[in-house]
Amino acid sequence: MTGEPILGISGLDISFTSYGQKSQILHDVSMHIDQGERVSLIGQSGSGKTVTMRTIIGTLPMPPAIIERGSIRFEGTELLTLDKRARNRLKGTGISIVLQDPMLSFNPLLTIGRQMDDVVRFADIRLNISRRRADRTARIHEVLRNVQLADPERICSAYPMMLSGGMRQRVLIGMALLNSPRLLIADEPGTALDVTTQQEILVLLNRLVDETGMSLMLITHNLGVVREMADRVYVMERGRIVETGTRAEIFNNPQHGYTRRLMEAVPSLYGSRVTDVTNERAEDAMIKVRDISKDFPLRSGLFNRQVGITRAVKDVELTINRGDIFGIAGESGSGKTTLAKMMLGLFDATDGAITMDKLNVHDAAGSRDFRKLVQIVYQNPGSSLNPKRTVADQLSVPLIFADFDRSTIAARIRELLELVDLPARYASMYPHELSGGQKQRVAIARALSVDPKILVLDEPTSALDVLIQNVVIDLLQRLRSELDLTYVFISHDLSLMRNFCNRVAIMFRGEICEQGETPDVFANPQHPYTRALLSAIPVLTDEEAAQKPIIEASERNAVLLSTTTLN
Amino acid sequence: MSSHTQLDDARQQRTLTSRQMAWYRFTRNPSAIIGSLIVISVFVAAIFAPYLATHPESAGAHVDFINRHSPPSWEFWFGTDNVGRDIFSRSLFGYRISLGLVVGVLGVAVPFGITLGLMAGYFGGRVEFIIMRFTDIMLAVPPLAMALAITAVLSPNLINAMIAITLLWWTWHTRLIYRIVKAQMSEDYVEAAKVAGASHFHIMFRELLPNCVSAISVKVSLDAGFVILFGAALSFLGLGVQPPTPDLGTMVSTGSEYLPEFWWEAVMPGMAILYAILGFNLLGDGLRDMMDVEL
Amino acid sequence: MAFYLTKRALSLLMVLLGLAVMIFVIARIVPGDPARIALGPLATANQVAELRQEMGLNDPIYVQLWHYLVGLAQGDLGKSLLTSRPVMSDILQALPATFELVLATVILQISISIPLGVLAAYYRDSWIDNITRILSLLGVVIPGFVLAIILQLLASYYFTSFPVTGRLDPSLDFQANTTGLLLIDSVIAGRPDVFIDALRYLFLPAIALAAGGIGQVMRITRSAMIEVGSRDFIEAARAYGIPERVITFRYMLRVASVAPLTILGLEFASLIGNAFVVEFVFSWPGIASYGVRTILQKDLNAVIGVVLVSGVFFVIANLTIDVLLGIIDPRHRIRGAQKA
Repeated sequence: MTGEPILGISGLDISFTSYGQKSQILHDVSMHIDQGERVSLIGQSGSGKTVTMRTIIGTLPMPPAIIERGSIRFEGTELLTLDKRARNRLKGTGISIVLQDPMLSFNPLLTIGRQMDDVVRFADIRLNISRRRADRTARIHEVLRNVQLADPERICSAYPMMLSGGMRQRVLIGMALLNSPRLLIADEPGTALDVTTQQEILVLLNRLVDETGMSLMLITHNLGVVREMADRVYVMERGRIVETGTRAEIFNNPQHGYTRRLMEAVPSLYGSRVTDVTNERAEDAMIKVRDISKDFPLRSGLFNRQVGITRAVKDVELTINRGDIFGIAGESGSGKTTLAKMMLGLFDATDGAITMDKLNVHDAAGSRDFRKLVQIVYQNPGSSLNPKRTVADQLSVPLIFADFDRSTIAARIRELLELVDLPARYASMYPHELSGGQKQRVAIARALSVDPKILVLDEPTSALDVLIQNVVIDLLQRLRSELDLTYVFISHDLSLMRNFCNRVAIMFRGEICEQGETPDVFANPQHPYTRALLSAIPVLTDEEAAQKPIIEASERNAVLLSTTTLN
Repeated sequence: MSSHTQLDDARQQRTLTSRQMAWYRFTRNPSAIIGSLIVISVFVAAIFAPYLATHPESAGAHVDFINRHSPPSWEFWFGTDNVGRDIFSRSLFGYRISLGLVVGVLGVAVPFGITLGLMAGYFGGRVEFIIMRFTDIMLAVPPLAMALAITAVLSPNLINAMIAITLLWWTWHTRLIYRIVKAQMSEDYVEAAKVAGASHFHIMFRELLPNCVSAISVKVSLDAGFVILFGAALSFLGLGVQPPTPDLGTMVSTGSEYLPEFWWEAVMPGMAILYAILGFNLLGDGLRDMMDVEL
Repeated sequence: MAFYLTKRALSLLMVLLGLAVMIFVIARIVPGDPARIALGPLATANQVAELRQEMGLNDPIYVQLWHYLVGLAQGDLGKSLLTSRPVMSDILQALPATFELVLATVILQISISIPLGVLAAYYRDSWIDNITRILSLLGVVIPGFVLAIILQLLASYYFTSFPVTGRLDPSLDFQANTTGLLLIDSVIAGRPDVFIDALRYLFLPAIALAAGGIGQVMRITRSAMIEVGSRDFIEAARAYGIPERVITFRYMLRVASVAPLTILGLEFASLIGNAFVVEFVFSWPGIASYGVRTILQKDLNAVIGVVLVSGVFFVIANLTIDVLLGIIDPRHRIRGAQKA
C-alpha cells in the first residue's frame, strides 16, 4: 500500500426504519481502495452492497436510512460531514457511477447528447470552468469513441430507446467517464445483458481502468466477474464484511465459510468439479419436434395491418428421450421460450408438428390428458404465483380442473408440500411470506400436482441467488428419479446446464445451431456461436479458463450483433 | 431435508403478516382514521336520523312560520329554512337519500363495470375493442349533461337520477379494471392457470379479481363521495329528488334563493354535503396510501 | 408525429361518430313520443301526426339515423323548440362564453396545480406538503355549486369588486365580434376597460369551475413526481452532480407531466359537465346555461346539440393534449410510427 487510499471506509453502521421497527443493515463495514486499484465488493441480494454504494455516492435516502456511526474518506476528505457544496463538487468528477440497468439509467425523453451535455456543463459550472458548447461536444464525442462507439454524432442525436442494451451500457460508461473521475463505482455492470455482451463490457472497463489510471469499485454477485476484474476482493454477507484479500487469496484459499459456500455453489464449466449427468432410461423417444417453425405477424400503419412476419423459430428438429434432462440454451431473443410455449401448446406452430408421448400437441393442447402429461415451471416465482392467493389455493387449481375429488385435494396438497420439502403449515401462507427458493418450490409442487410425465423448466433458477439455486436444482434432480420425469430445461446459463443436463441444444436466431450429449458439446463445440458463448462465460479457476474454446475476433463478429455501431 | 434446503428456509424473511402491516399503516395514517370516523358518523346519522334529529318533524312538509329564517342557534344548530324547518334535522335525513343513492348506484355500476373490465382485459381482441371503444365514447359525454338529459326526459325523481348516474358510472370501473388486468396479463400466473386447465371464469374472478381488490376498494370509497356530489348537483338543478323530501342538494338550491341575507340556508346543507364527501375522500386517500395503489 | 396525430384524430373522430349514434339511439328509445313531448299535452292528435311527419318520425329508424348523420355533417342540428331557431345558431351564439370560461379554467388549473404539485413533491412530508395536500383535498371535495354559492356570498360581502352574475357590465357598449372571446377581442379593439371588466366577471366562475381539477391535478403531479424521483435515471443524474433544480424541472417534471396532462384530457368531459352548474349559478350566458334551460323544457334537439358540441370540445381538448404529449415524449412520435 502506498500513500493514503483514494477511498477509506471505516466502522460504518447504517440502520433502516420500516413499520416503526429499526433494523441495522450495515454492521461495522470497513474497506479501502488504493489509487488505481480495482476492488470488488461481492455479495448476494440483500447483503448491503447497494446501500454501501449509495452511501459513498450520497444518494442514500434518509429517512428511512440512518447513518449511525462511521466515516467515509475520499482522498483524505471526510464525506459524511462534508458540506453540500463541496460534496456536490465531487460528484461525477471525483466519484462517478455506472448503475446496474442500462435500460433504466437514462431519461427516456431527452436525447443522449443532451443528457451527456448536461453532465459536462454542470460539472463545469461547479468547477468554475468555462467551456463553449462545441468544446463540450468534442469532449463527448471523444469519450464515446473511447468506449468504442462509432458514429458519436448519430448516437448523440438518438433517444435512449433507439439503442440496443449493449450500446446503452457503453454510453452509460461513457457518461460516467465524461468528467474524468478518480474513482468509478460500477454496480453489476453487464448483468442485465447477455453473456457475450457482458464480456465485451468487462473487457472495456478493464481497458479504461488501465488507460486512465482511475480506481474501480466493482459491485457484483458474480464470482466469475470478480476473477476477471478485481485486484482485491471484499465479501459481504448480511451487512458485514466477512472476508477480504487479494484475488489470488480469495480464489485459491477462501477462509470464511460463506465465501467457500459461495465458491462451491457456482457450477463449473470445465475441469474436475464438473458432474456428468446420464440417462439410463433413454430407450424411447418422449418428445418429437418435427421441423417446427413459428411466425409472428408484424403490424404497422394506421389500421394496424400486417406488413410482414418475423420468424421466431425456424425448422427446429428435436428428439427428447424418456428420462432426459434436455437443455435448450440461447441468449435473449433466440426463440427458446417460443419453442417451450409451443411444446406446451400455448402457441400453435406455423409449420411442423410436435408429439409428446404419442399425443399430437396441436390436437391435444388444453385437454385434460395433455395437462396430465406436460406442465411448466416458470422463471420467476414472484410472477408465476398469484400474490393474492394462498399456497393451498394455488396448488388446488390444477387439481380442481383435472376433476380431482374435492375431498382428496387437501390430502394431496399436504403430499405435494412434503414432496418439495415444505412443512404442511405453509399451505395457508401467501407468496410474500415465503423466500424466493420456497416460492419456486411451491411452483414446482403446483406443476407436479397432476402427476405429469414431462416438465418444461423455463430458467427455473435464474431469479434466485446462487446459493438458493442449488436447493432447487437438488430438488429437481431428486424428483426426476423419484417420479420418473423428463425435463426440458430452458436456460441461458451454460455452466448450470453443463452440470444438470444430459443433452443440450444451442439456439441461435430461431434455429438450433448445435445439439448433442452435454460433455461432447462442451468439450468440442462446433458452431462458432457456441464457441463465442462458451468463451464469454466468466469462470472461477485458471484451469477452467484454459479449457474454454478460443475464438477469433472475425469468427466472433460473424455471429454476434455489434454493440458499437448503430444500424 | 438437505443442508441446502435448511439454508433456504433460514433465509425466509422475518416479515410481518399482511394484516399486521395493514394495521400499522392504518394507525400511522391520519387520513384513513379521520376519514373512517367521518364515514361512520355519516352512516350513524343516516340510520338513526329519527332519533338523533333535534326536530324530527322537520323531515316532512312541516311548517313553522314563527321560526322561519332563524339563524343558527342552540335551538336550531344549522338555523331554519324559509318555512321554519330545522336544517340540522333535515340534513340528517338528507344523508339517507345521499347514502341510498351511493348504495344504489355503486351496487349496480361497480359489479357491472368490473365484469366488463375483466372481460376486455382478459379476452383482448374483438371483445376488448368493442368494450373499450364504447367506454371511450362514454368518456366524451359530459356526465352531468347526460344525466340531466336522461332525468329530464324520464321525469325527475330519485330513482331516475339513480338510473342516470348508474348508466354513466360503470365506465370508470371498466377502465380501471381493464388497465390493471392488462398489466397483470403479462404475469406468469395467468398463463400458469391456463396451463393448469383453469376456466375463463376461474381466471377472471379467482385469479385476476383478487389482484384488483385494493384498487377497487380505494376507487369505491372515492366514488361514494363523488356520487353524493353528483346527486346533489342534479337535485340542485331541480332534476333530482323533489320536495318536500329532505335532500341536501335541493336544500342548497332552495336556500340559495335567500342569499346573501339568510346564508345558512344554503351554506349549512352545503357543508353537510362537503362533510360526507370529505369523509369518503379521506378514507379513499388513506386506503390508497395503506395499500399502495395507483388509480 | 404527423402519423401519430392522424391516428389519434381518427380514433377521436370515431368517438364523435359513436357518440352521435348513441345519442340518437337514446333519444329514440326514451319512452314517449318526441312530437308529443315537443308540443305538450294540450296538442291535438292531428297536430302531433303532422309534426311526426315533419320530423320524419314515420320513416324507418335507419333512414332517420342517416338523415340525422347527414344533417350533422352539414352542421344541421335541427330546430330548437324553445327558441324556434336553428339549434346550431343558438349554440354558436352561446359557445364563445363557454369557451372563454373553460379556457380560463384550464389555464388556472395548469398554472396553479402543476407548480404546487411539484412543490409538494419537492418538500415531501414537510409542512408545505401538508398545506398543499389540504388545499387539494378541499378543492376535490367541495361541490362546484357549493363553492360557487360560497364565492358569491363572499363577493357580496367582502370582494364587492367581483360581480356575481353575467359576463360583462351591460353599461359597457361592446360586441365581441372577432373571436367571440371578450378578453381577446377587447385587446384587438383597444378597449382596456372592457378587458378589465371581463376579467372581473370571469374570475369567480373560473375559480369555482377550476377548484376540483386543481386539487386532482395537484395530487397526481405530486405522486408522479415522487414516482419518477425513485427511478434509476434520477439517481444517476444526482450521482453525476446535476443540480437538484435541473433534476426537478428538466428531468423529473418532464417525465411526470405526462400523467396530469392525460388526466386533464380524460376529465375534460366532467369539466364541461360541471360548467353546467357553475354557469347556472353565475348566470353565465354559455351553452351550459342554454343546455339547462332546454333540458328543463324537454327541448330534445337542443339537448342533443349541446351534448354533441360538448363531445367536440372533448375531442379538441384531447387532440391538443396529444400534440403536447407528442412534443414532450419522443416515444409517442417514434413508436407511434413503428407499430400500434
